[in-house]
Amino acid sequence: MKSFPLKIVTLDGEFFNGQVVQVSLRSIDGDVSILAGHIPYITAIGMGECRIYFEQASEPRRAACMGGILSVSNDCVRIAATTFEWAEDIDRERAFAAKKRAEEEILRKKDKINTSIAEAKLKRALTRISVADKIK
Amino acid sequence: MAEVSMKDIKLRIKSVENTRQITKAMELVASSKLRRAKERAERSRPFFSILQSVMDDISSGSDSESIFTKEKQVKNSCYIVIAGDRGLAGGYNNNVLDLAEVEMKNKNAVILPIGKKALEHFKRVGANMITSDFESVEDISVKNCHEISKVISSGFADGDFDEAYIVYTKFISVLSQEPSVVRILPVAVNKNKESKKYILYEPDSEAVFNAIIPDYIAGVLWGSVSESLASELGARRTAMEAATKNAGEMLDSLSLKYNRARQGAITQEITEIVSGSEL
Repeated sequence: MKSFPLKIVTLDGEFFNGQVVQVSLRSIDGDVSILAGHIPYITAIGMGECRIYFEQASEPRRAACMGGILSVSNDCVRIAATTFEWAEDIDRERAFAAKKRAEEEILRKKDKINTSIAEAKLKRALTRISVADKIK
Repeated sequence: MAEVSMKDIKLRIKSVENTRQITKAMELVASSKLRRAKERAERSRPFFSILQSVMDDISSGSDSESIFTKEKQVKNSCYIVIAGDRGLAGGYNNNVLDLAEVEMKNKNAVILPIGKKALEHFKRVGANMITSDFESVEDISVKNCHEISKVISSGFADGDFDEAYIVYTKFISVLSQEPSVVRILPVAVNKNKESKKYILYEPDSEAVFNAIIPDYIAGVLWGSVSESLASELGARRTAMEAATKNAGEMLDSLSLKYNRARQGAITQEITEIVSGSEL
């Protein structure tokens, strides 16, 4: 299977730069997978798991990937994410603590703005936990 | 010449030596932190350039204007002002706060201060602030930048203000830093009609554009915070280097004075002994 160059960057720096055969992630519209030879394509990234396949039908490397954009051009696939965390780097205890905090905040807060911020926090924590669980 | 006593001079030498030790240490701390701050600013560049090129592509390819790029009649403005947490950095804090004051003159402005000195300044003048949560510029994280950018972009979308600026200090070199202003909203894009590319956008180009605006602003903000931090450290390093040099000069002249006083005392003693023996 043909491979293509993939580059993953965040504001904290470069996370990945190399050849892969497939990358799958969740966009704001749903899950997408990119293979070699895809037409130029740009979409905004949602909150979810990002899977990177180095060989066909092998176990992918998993990461939590939220926000930012996925950009496919003729020569390269780029992921510029708001947050990107390899599954093995996720601190499950911290994620659970964040989940608990967010849940408490949702119960306590009545106004709309703070609730929506807390809900986003909760969603992020849940995504991280589910990604971390998959590699156990 | 009214001589200062030798003991006084000795005390003074001691205190200047202590001061020099402190300024020297601060200089070294600033230089090592400066290196890290510069690397941090460098690391964020690829992310930022990808977003910039995508935004340019989108606006080159479409005729409609996003609410984030449309110029509006300006009634209210928003200023994010980045200054330092501590003094002893030459004119660093004053320069950037002065520029902010000049820029905001005759404008209806709300302020989001970052850094203790900025916060204290705007508290003192009684300015209208969005939040006073960001007291320490050194502790600002990428996450904080995303939070701020969400507040700013939703405030702009809701019409709370019609333009937004960042006032920060540009890092030109270790020796020179320049306070400057950039406009972050409405977003400036390079429209290039000729380089129209055929790209598939999902769900559509405008949705993608609006979704990446907060990330883009967070990128600009993170870059400005990193650069301001590097500037602060550069300014502190220069100031402390000068202070250390001055302390060295003072020590030289003080030890000269001390030696003169000592020599004077010895001469006087000899004169006294000699004149006593002649009796």
